[in-house]
Formats: sequence, C-alpha cells, structure tokens
Amino acid sequence: MIVVDDLTKKYGSTTAVDHLSFSVAPGRVTGFLGPNGSGKSTTMRCMIGLDRATSGTTLFDGRPYSRFDQPLREVGALLDAGNAHAGRSARNHLRWIAASNGLPVGRVDETLEMVGLRQVAGKRVGQFSLGMKQRLGIAAVMLGDPRVVILDEPANGLDPEGIRWIREILKDLANQGRSVLVSSHLLAEMAMIADDLVVIGRGRLVDQCTVAEFIDRHATKWVTVRSPSLDRLIEVARAAGLEPRRVGDSAEFHGVDSAVVGELAAAHGLVLHQLASQTGSLEDAFLRVTADSVEYHGESEPTR
Amino acid sequence: MISTIRSEWIKLRSVRSNLVMMGVALFVPMAIVLLTVSFMDVLSVSDATIAELLAGSGTFSVMMLGVVGVLSVTQEYSQGTIRITLAATPRRVRVHLAKIAVVVAVSVVIMAIVILVGRLAGAAILDSRGFDGTLGYDGEGAVYGALLVISMVVAVLGCAAGTITRNPPGAISALLLWPLVVESIVGGVLGVLVDGWKQDWMPFQTGLNGVLVSTHDLEFGRWGSIGYFSLWVAALSLVAVRLLRRRDA
Repeated sequence: MIVVDDLTKKYGSTTAVDHLSFSVAPGRVTGFLGPNGSGKSTTMRCMIGLDRATSGTTLFDGRPYSRFDQPLREVGALLDAGNAHAGRSARNHLRWIAASNGLPVGRVDETLEMVGLRQVAGKRVGQFSLGMKQRLGIAAVMLGDPRVVILDEPANGLDPEGIRWIREILKDLANQGRSVLVSSHLLAEMAMIADDLVVIGRGRLVDQCTVAEFIDRHATKWVTVRSPSLDRLIEVARAAGLEPRRVGDSAEFHGVDSAVVGELAAAHGLVLHQLASQTGSLEDAFLRVTADSVEYHGESEPTR
Repeated sequence: MISTIRSEWIKLRSVRSNLVMMGVALFVPMAIVLLTVSFMDVLSVSDATIAELLAGSGTFSVMMLGVVGVLSVTQEYSQGTIRITLAATPRRVRVHLAKIAVVVAVSVVIMAIVILVGRLAGAAILDSRGFDGTLGYDGEGAVYGALLVISMVVAVLGCAAGTITRNPPGAISALLLWPLVVESIVGGVLGVLVDGWKQDWMPFQTGLNGVLVSTHDLEFGRWGSIGYFSLWVAALSLVAVRLLRRRDA
C-alpha cells in the first residue's frame, strides 16, 4: 500500500507538485496519468526520496522510503530506462544493484531470464535498444522481489510484443498482491492494464477512481439512433428542446439518456432500428478532464 | 555498509575507462622508474636515486588516482545511475563513504605495487648493470609512506570534487589545474599583495611536496604539509557531503 499525503514540491517559485494526495492499493494496477509537465515524474522521484519534497509524506506500508535499510526488497522503481552506464554489461549493471542491497547474485540471472535478456547479459548496455533497456530496467526493479512497484512510462520504446509483455507482467505483479503504480501516455494500453487511476494536472489531483468510474464520470456520452423516419424523429426531438445531430443515416443525441429518446419516438409512433447509448474512451475522458491543465497545446487541423 | 562498498567496487571495476585509468596509474610510473635506471649513467646513481624517481613518477600516479576518484562519482551523474544508487541506498552519506573506501583501497594497492616493483626491480636492474654502491637511506621509508598517504588523500579529494561539480570534465580540470595553475597564479598574486605570504600556504602543492626526498625547504615539514593539505580535503569533503544530502538527484 502506498499513501501519498499532501505532497508538495517547489522549484523556486514554480510549484511542480501541489498538495497531492492519493493511495495505491495492493493487488491492483494503478495508472498514473497527467499531461506532459503535470508533475508525474517529479511525484515519483519525491516518493522514493530522490527529490526532496517541500512538504508532505509518502508511506510504503506505513513507512517512509528513507527508513528502509534495503529498500529494493520493499520498493522497485524504474524511473528512466536510460539510467544505466553505456559501457557496463547488463549483468554487471544488475550485479552492482543487487550487491547494494545484499541480494544474492543468483537473482541477477533469474531476473535476466525473466525479462528475456539472458542471451545478451554480457553485452554492453550502450548496444541495447530502448526496448531492451526497458526490459533491463524491469529486471532491476524485480531484483529485490518488492511488494511495491513504481514504473514511469515502462512501455516507451517497446514494440507491440514488448507492450503486450509489459501488460502481462504488470497484471501478474498485481495478481501476486503487489501495489503497482505505473505512468504511461498510451491511454488505450492503460485502459487495458489499469484497475485504478490517479489523474493529475498542473501538479494537483484531478481525480482518483477506477478506470470504469473515470470514463463514466468524464467521457462524452451520447445516444445513437437509426430509424426509417429519421427526419421526422429529428424534427420532433428539436420541437421537444433536444439537439440531435444527423450523422449519415443515424442521429446522435448528446446530453440525454437513451430512455428519453426512446420514449419520444414511441410517443410519436416512430419505428427505431437502433437505440444505443455510447460512451467515449479513456482517452476522450482524459483529454476532457485535463484540457485546462495542458501546458503545451498544438492546433489540430480544422475538420472539413 | 559492506554491501554498499561491494556495490561500489563492482561499479568501479566493470567500466573499461576506470580500468584504463588504474592501469595508467600502475604501469606508467613503474615504466618511468625501470626505464630510467636501465639507461642512466650508473656512476651518477646515489643511495636516494630510486626514492627520487619514485617520488616524481609516483606523483603522476597520485593525480591519476585522483581522476579515478572523480570518475567514480561523475560517471554516476553523466550516465544517470546516481538515481538508482541513491534509491538503493537512501542514506547518501553511506554512498559517499563507500566510494571513498573503494578508491582509497585501490589507491593504496596500486601505489604499494608501484613502490615495491619500482624499488625491488629498480635495485635489481642497477645491480645487474654493475652498480656496487648502497641503495636506500634512513628517510627512504618516509618518502614511500608519504606517497601512500597522499595517494589516499587525493583519491578522497577526487570524490569530493566529483560530488561538488557532478561533471567529469569540470571535476578533472579542477583536480589537475588546481595544483598546476591555480595555486601558482593565486600564490604569486598573494605573494605580491600580502606581507609575509608563504607559498607553502597553498595546500595542494604543499601536500604534493610532502613526498619529496628532501624536505628541508618545507614550511610545515613532510607530515605537516600532508596534514595541512588533508585538512583542506576534509573541509571540501564536508561541503560535498552536505551538497549530496541536500540536492535533488
């Protein structure tokens, strides 16, 4: 269990993390989402004491990170896969990490096997692709068999097979009862992996809930209708104060429940071939909820 | 602490550039001593010849071992591994002490080999070339002892410089330019401006002078000079540890 309580990190006059509180439950994958520059990586660094929090605390099963004598046995964190000496072999990279926490040398080969790098263990990290470095980073995280796993963008640079691999690993880790906190920009992937979400914007908590609740609360919802009397349906709907939009051979009703549209059609004796409630994706919900928190906007091309 | 030291030792020996620097610190001074005694005029050899050669070439080793100290720290920052190191060992002072322990041990071993090989093989070469005088004198052990101590002190200084600057070129430049350039210029200027100024107040040059065969001209004597320099290094180490504890990684 991770409990982040009122965490604040300031760099001079800039507040990167602003009174942030959330928790990460064991046995679940918690997705950590936020636009670029929203403070996700800073939060993660503060959680494990790499950056000094201006105020607030992070407790791992009730203890601050700094109290662990051999923290890798409690918390495994991968913040940047590039944090490895290019001239050192993968095995030696893991050996010094294992030695620092008194972990047996045998764990090095076990974790290399686990991430599929056993064959290239003697190769220098500088010759690794980004995907291989991610795998090496995961191996380092798993050296101490920790109860808490923190990963910052672990799918970066992975090919589709690698992304599926990381998805399965994260689910396995959670199924084993570990607390898993993972940030990612791949929202479709996150929708598949995560049980819970912590969403932040400009360093502040935007929402914490399950993925389903987040989509339900924040995604666009609409009703799609097909009918042989579509024009008539649109006409009566407008008369009733609704705002239908014709899309091809169907109509979309935003901001109303499907029951309202169905009852309206029935009241006017109109036949419906389809009446479907639609909900936007996690990406849609995320973009809507963080729209005010995005620091760097790009202009999308106008729809023609 | 033992596990942190073991980890630092694996780090140091698993990167080729560190091994190259250690090899240079080991073999270059030995080569200088052995080549010199192989080709010098035997008639000009005195009882202090090998000690003088080792004091001179050993100083080169001392500086290279200081660079090893710098690299043991700055590589962590340039390659990003400092974040893993400090996450694995949240007690940051322990990390610094472990780095010092490793580079000091490496320095002592390398300097001891340089001294032993230079002294024994140098004497054997001179014997084989027909030198029939006596090698060695009463103060010879003090020269070698001073070399061992100063190699440790400069290695500690390398760790401090690396931690303060976090930048390999910056720290290496500072380490090498301080005694060679900075102290000469600063000492020269202060000598003009300050009445009674003594060049021996410049710590690095004074520390390195502690290994000289003849110490008659030293203001603080052999061990006083090394002790004076060590105080400066201790002060810089305290600054380094304070910065390491306070900074974000």
